[in-house]
Amino acid sequence: MTVIINPEGVADPQASPARTTRATLRRNFWRGVWRVLRRKPSRMAGVVIIVLFALMGIAGPLLYPDNLPRDDNALYAPPSLAHPFGTDFEGTDVLALVVTGARYVLLTGLATAAITVAVGTAIGLFAGFRRGRWDTVLMRLTDMNLAIPGLPLLLVLSTVWKFEGPLEMGLVLGLLGWGGIARAVRSQTLSLRERGFIEAARGLGLPTRHIIGRELLPGMAPYIAMNMLIAVTGAVYAQVGLFFLGVLPFESNNWGVMLNLAVFNGGALTTPAALPYLLAPLLAILLLTLGIVLIVDAMDEIFNPRLREE
Amino acid sequence: MTPTTVTAPGVRIRDLTVVYKTPAGELPAVSGVNLSLEPGTITGVVGESGSGKSTLALSLLNAVQPPGRIAAGSVEIDGLGDVLTLGGEDLRRARGRQVGYVFQAAQNSLNPLKTIGKQLLDLGRSHDVEDLRGLVRDAKELLARMGMDGARVLDSHQHELSGGMRQRVGIMLALVLNAKVVVLDEPTTALDMITQATILRIIREVHDERSLTTLVITHDVGAIAEVADSLAVMYGGRVVEHGEVTEVLGAPRHPYTQGLIRAIPRLSGDISEARALPGRPPTLGTLPAAGCVFRERCERRMAVCETDEPIPVFRDGRTVACHAVDHPLALVKRKEFA
Amino acid sequence: MTNAVRGRPRWGAVARKTGGHLVRGLVMVWVVATISFVIIREIPGNPVLGQYESLIQKGMSPEQAERATAVLYGFLPTGSLWQQYLGYMGSLLHLDLGRSLSTPGVEVTTLIGSAARWTVLPVLAGTLLSFLLGVTMGVYAAIKRSGKLGDMLALSGSLLHGVPVYVIGLLLTAIFATLWPILPSGGPVDVEFVPGLNPGYLGSLLQHAVLPVVTYTLASYGGWILAMKSNVVAVLGDDFILAAELRGLKRGIVFRYLARNAILPLFTILALSIGMLFGGSIFIEEIFNYPGLGLLLVNSITSRDYALMGGTFLVITIGIVVANIVADLLYTAIDPRVRSGGAA
Repeated sequence: MTVIINPEGVADPQASPARTTRATLRRNFWRGVWRVLRRKPSRMAGVVIIVLFALMGIAGPLLYPDNLPRDDNALYAPPSLAHPFGTDFEGTDVLALVVTGARYVLLTGLATAAITVAVGTAIGLFAGFRRGRWDTVLMRLTDMNLAIPGLPLLLVLSTVWKFEGPLEMGLVLGLLGWGGIARAVRSQTLSLRERGFIEAARGLGLPTRHIIGRELLPGMAPYIAMNMLIAVTGAVYAQVGLFFLGVLPFESNNWGVMLNLAVFNGGALTTPAALPYLLAPLLAILLLTLGIVLIVDAMDEIFNPRLREE
Repeated sequence: MTPTTVTAPGVRIRDLTVVYKTPAGELPAVSGVNLSLEPGTITGVVGESGSGKSTLALSLLNAVQPPGRIAAGSVEIDGLGDVLTLGGEDLRRARGRQVGYVFQAAQNSLNPLKTIGKQLLDLGRSHDVEDLRGLVRDAKELLARMGMDGARVLDSHQHELSGGMRQRVGIMLALVLNAKVVVLDEPTTALDMITQATILRIIREVHDERSLTTLVITHDVGAIAEVADSLAVMYGGRVVEHGEVTEVLGAPRHPYTQGLIRAIPRLSGDISEARALPGRPPTLGTLPAAGCVFRERCERRMAVCETDEPIPVFRDGRTVACHAVDHPLALVKRKEFA
Repeated sequence: MTNAVRGRPRWGAVARKTGGHLVRGLVMVWVVATISFVIIREIPGNPVLGQYESLIQKGMSPEQAERATAVLYGFLPTGSLWQQYLGYMGSLLHLDLGRSLSTPGVEVTTLIGSAARWTVLPVLAGTLLSFLLGVTMGVYAAIKRSGKLGDMLALSGSLLHGVPVYVIGLLLTAIFATLWPILPSGGPVDVEFVPGLNPGYLGSLLQHAVLPVVTYTLASYGGWILAMKSNVVAVLGDDFILAAELRGLKRGIVFRYLARNAILPLFTILALSIGMLFGGSIFIEEIFNYPGLGLLLVNSITSRDYALMGGTFLVITIGIVVANIVADLLYTAIDPRVRSGGAA
């Protein structure tokens, strides 16, 4: 979906004395956010879901003992009040596994998103700002980054790099995934440049740092924020997928490991007994996707005036 | 092409009201407009953007786009009846065949993926033209009249033509089916002066030759003065003044028309004499609910303007909707325009 | 512009563009080959040297062992980095990807060739099916965009587009193979049938292909419906559609104008996604135990068959490079604006 950045979103070069207008703008912005959220209740649901997942990632592991209790008498127990999603092959509660596994998954997602956005924005801004030879080289690099098949490359990389811990994993995923943002930020920069924003700011004698930080970035922030959310989901999927395929060593509990064990050890695809064990992490991923889709939809409407009018 | 002996049809717009759905409810873009297009004449409609003139033009084809809706009124076209009661296939057949429409921004009125010739054939097939060869011949002839190489244009895609050429193609497509009523919505905006003049000349020529009834919508008073027989001035969704073009421009009676003409800089006069109309044109949301829509910007505002909407009054071949015009004090003649 | 007035293609420009793509594609293949080389060489424990040493331990002479290892990996186990690298690139130029370790003695190209069949057909079917379905529903979602139905279609599109393919695959299997076992859950075909053009074998093939194809269809359907919807909405706002209506064109013709303009940009994405099909099917093949390229790649990694891994990775990349070029040519062929070099 194309995103049109509202040019009014770019701060007025002379706005610094007018703090009050900025404050009003901000207030209007939050009022707009509230209105957009209220217009469709599903968007509120999206916010609630994401807040729940964030809580799960932060507080989840604190709710349970470090080593989750096992119950040898209840291997692959069916769902019950004590175990809403049954138990796994060791008799551990599946819900507890999902909740405690969330932190690893979400941490990777956040790390990836941070790196994707930082690298992508930096490269895109630099290419669009400098233009010329730098632009050509960086965009060739970006094309390459976009064209190399990501998942196969990850699989191949996994033979030399074990991606220890969620942060390292996020680093690898982030370094592989910045291409899209870089290209979008570059074209935004170029179009703002074409509209004379940068020349005008230069003419006013503003330093480059100010131009980038105050003039360019605010206009692109919504786009970048949306991409960040999408990058989080992408990273979660890639990471869970890698663990599911079993090419990474299982160092700690997470959703991908659960999927792998359920399918390839528990035989969840042939016997119904291990099914809840398989479905629980799937449901978690589905919910996370739903939450992010709903929020991105709302953001799209907040920041895209063309959609708002309909 | 044989010169037709059929007389041009007349068009009568009666009490036309078009509303747009907005968050603040349904607001009128055109309210209670009465306008007759005499057979065989060119009527110009001028007004600022937002005056409802494009909406009026679309109403002639019953083609007001959502969120707009024709709320009341009728558009009688001789030989066709009330267009507003037509629907479905009848309406489709009338569009293009009986009423030709040259689109606002006609530069973008062509399918970018098909050659002009193929789009012409689509038009012919849509209106069950038996003799497609004849249609192509007519199209080439029309294009040639407008100074273009017909065969080459028909073989081109839209992006291979310049803005003026596309505009002429748009006019050709509106005329090629021999429509007797032709509506041109801003036919010359976004064109350079010379192309503008050429296109206006062509419109006049073709109009005379085929004895059409033509409606030209524009915001350019200068352009319309050269082609139109009669002129209607729109403001805030109303026709505030309507009459012979020379009279309306020469001796405007409505304060808005007067202001409009005063705003045109003259080649012969002092540029400082040109005075822009104070205030801003109203938008759907800022139109006053009662009273005269122009009163906020009017220098001859009276108490009655706040409460009563002026009724269009027909006098000496001119229709004017203004309380001040009938008021004795308002009869101060503005000599410089006489 | 003058020589393009008749919409004549500017073949010179097209050739230059294609040449550029070709060069860029070759650079990419080279980069990927280099990555493979570096990785194979840098894998902990150096499998190339390890193989060489184990062959010597088995009693081979150093020359024999060297040659045997080179056949396996495409480059010599000894010598400088540069010699090894040039040797590897040299054998790539001869389309020699080495030999498999896990299926001893078989050439990597042979394995890839037989796996490709299992990937190409189901994924091609899935891509085309999802394209047709997504484009049709996209038009519908655009026209009904202000209604409940349009909202539902768009939301389902976003969800399916957002959810990773393995979630769809696992859910479908859980439903149709485990809970309500009406379809086989794994493998390409039942072993009891004799391969050939007999109804039993073909039926079994089809039956086994249902879940993978449906998974692929659902996974890519979301992207198509979203893209088509936004294109149709954009074209609906274009002046020429209203102009066509005002000229009284038949509904069918107006619809064709709309659909053709909206679908045009999607054809390039279609070409690209067909190129992605080699790499995009890894999860599906893993879940359904379908012996295609993706499964080959995963198995080569888990069984430490590095020549096979490098070769499969390379072939997947080449698929994408070729698709990029085809997509560009296709766009040139179908869009008159690009064809005549006009910057419309």
